Amino acid sequence: MLLEASDLVGGYGGNDVLQGVSLAVDAGEIAVVVGPNGAGKSTALKALFGLVGLRAGCVLLDGHEVTGWAPERLVAAGMGFVPQERNVFPTLTVEENLEMGAYLRRDGIARAKEAVWALFPDLVAKRRQAAGELSGGQRQMVAIGRALMMAPRLLLLDEPTAGLSPKVMDEILERVQAINATGVGILMVEQNARAALAVAHRGYVLQTGRNRFTGTGPELLADREVALAFLGG
Amino acid sequence: MLLDFVNFYLIPGLVLGCIYALGAIGVSLLFGILRFAHFAHGDLMTVGAYLALLLVRVAGLAPIVALPAAAVGTALLAVLIDRAAYRPFREKQTIVLVIASFGVALMLRSLVQLLGGVGSVAYVPGIQRPLVLFDSLRIAERHLWIIGVSALLVVVLHLFLSRSRTGKAMRAMSDERDLARIAGIDTERVVVWTWLIGGGLAAAAGVFLGMDTQLNPYMGWDLLLPVFAAAILGGIGRPYGAILGGLVIGLAEELATYPWIGTTPLVSPDYKTAVAFAIMVAMLIWRPTGLLRGRQFG
Repeated sequence: MLLEASDLVGGYGGNDVLQGVSLAVDAGEIAVVVGPNGAGKSTALKALFGLVGLRAGCVLLDGHEVTGWAPERLVAAGMGFVPQERNVFPTLTVEENLEMGAYLRRDGIARAKEAVWALFPDLVAKRRQAAGELSGGQRQMVAIGRALMMAPRLLLLDEPTAGLSPKVMDEILERVQAINATGVGILMVEQNARAALAVAHRGYVLQTGRNRFTGTGPELLADREVALAFLGG
Repeated sequence: MLLDFVNFYLIPGLVLGCIYALGAIGVSLLFGILRFAHFAHGDLMTVGAYLALLLVRVAGLAPIVALPAAAVGTALLAVLIDRAAYRPFREKQTIVLVIASFGVALMLRSLVQLLGGVGSVAYVPGIQRPLVLFDSLRIAERHLWIIGVSALLVVVLHLFLSRSRTGKAMRAMSDERDLARIAGIDTERVVVWTWLIGGGLAAAAGVFLGMDTQLNPYMGWDLLLPVFAAAILGGIGRPYGAILGGLVIGLAEELATYPWIGTTPLVSPDYKTAVAFAIMVAMLIWRPTGLLRGRQFG
């Protein structure tokens, strides 16, 4: 397994949002986490990335324990994280945003930059523009591009399509699949559950801080109970 | 008439503006990175000015020649102060850091008083004759140095912030601190650089103020109001705004004393500082994010 998190318990302050969540992603897979508001989806992602304190549980990256590691250490170990909000540096140009993603890299970053331009050709013309001036979809592209600059093996995405129009949402999900096709494992929290599960190799439904259903994306989409309770019928 | 305006109002205004700008850049950068108003910044300027005085007295250097060493010394001191007095409170509420910086301000001032005396001193005693350019443009040599070196420092700062990896990381952290950590930026390293730059520029401001007038242990503390006004005017967290804000405040203070109407000064020179205060209050009421849309202050 690329990433294996078991029985995570933790949250903000004394309030345990997570009450035993387990998630896993294998190399080259897309895993999607869905569930109602307050289920702990985003908290789980942040806890994996060392941004939320864990009281119990274990996180393994490639079989090595990384529980409680600081974000910068996880970045160096091959994990990338794209938060849902405030995920670009607004006064920095698009290109500078990408350079910041490669801050820890000591080797050349030209090739990583070329790969991002190839993935998001729309950004090339905007490379010298401040990221804060871009549209929501383009900002999301910058945010994902920034995380790709370290050539991570695993990418955590927190609601990458939140607030985007259906057309842009499809575009982002299609790009996420393209990233996955290059061998990057994806763990994604999504509010647009149907669209996200449709591209998922592995799906998790969380409820009140616990795993509720687990299966492949198509299995969860076909499950009557899941559909009724979590996908709006 | 025009020459009088240039010689006695415009040039002194520019000089004052440079001094304010150098102080305000540090205040603004520090606020962007650490999210607190650094009230010991004025006293860092004083320390810089007195370090240069030490070199002037001991090694017989000209103040402008002593400046680089004084700036390096002040910059290192700023990093040490951060380690001892601010870093332990990094994750605490902002007000804790603000109060800590008040304490540091008092300690620095007392140290200066203890080692440098409580009275006023000058780098070079006596009156210096101004240079006369084009027959009628009179400008003191020290003013040329102040304006020239300030411009140089601003250009170097610009290159640092726009070209270097650390400078870009500094802007990134000022934009979004959490995202900077997520991106893997070494935020403590950025903090150290911010203190080095803020401290070095504060020392330059202090030395320039000492060259322009005199040194006394309260010189930096007295400058805190216009320096904060400049940082707020420019947009807190925006170093380029701080430069603009410093120049505007410096010029406004000097030009307000020009006899615009009639033959007496529009604002009595005794009330010069009130001009900075008025501008700061007006900005906080009508445009608290500053000219360059910085962060809301406080």
